[in-house]
Amino acid sequence: MNNRVRELRTALGWSQADLGEKLDVSRQTVNAVETGKYDPSLPLAFKIAKLFDLSIESIFTPGE
Amino acid sequence: MRAVHKRYLREFIPAMLIYMLLVYLSVRWLRSVDGTVARAAVTLLPVLPIAFIIRAMVRAIRGQDELERRTDLESISIGGAIGGFGFFSYGMLINAGVLQAPPAQSVAIWVLPVLMFGYGAVKCCMTFYYRVR
Repeated sequence: MNNRVRELRTALGWSQADLGEKLDVSRQTVNAVETGKYDPSLPLAFKIAKLFDLSIESIFTPGE
Repeated sequence: MRAVHKRYLREFIPAMLIYMLLVYLSVRWLRSVDGTVARAAVTLLPVLPIAFIIRAMVRAIRGQDELERRTDLESISIGGAIGGFGFFSYGMLINAGVLQAPPAQSVAIWVLPVLMFGYGAVKCCMTFYYRVR
């Protein structure tokens, strides 16, 4: 799965640690999501979407 | 370090120190204790703080985020399988007469350290895997 989390985060000037704190996850988890190593659960994806005020499908897209 | 891991260390370290102290005292005390029931009670004395160690572990796992839980699950599964099958293979080699049988108590005592080491080693690899691309 591809995602725009890094792009959205950097646009707001947040570090991975900042985003992790807002989502109540570790910085390593934010990094793993951003790099596509780990696909977040639906609740976490909703949390991310809500934080950026976007829909899930505008952040996460199916990979090839 | 996240709050959940700070809490884990706060709960785990004192319980582990008490456990180590009780193991030391139990081993020393056993030298002067007679009778099966008394020896069993003294030997099992260190088990009490283990309940607090397990409680700390459960609370840490429940407080972790989803990737941390997944990493732990994978590490426990792979580390446990390596340790379990390692012991099984070791037993088969002893059974085949390839290796000499050690005292039974040595094998029993080494089960936990081997499993813990397997879990720790695999967790390092899994953490590295999720961190590095």
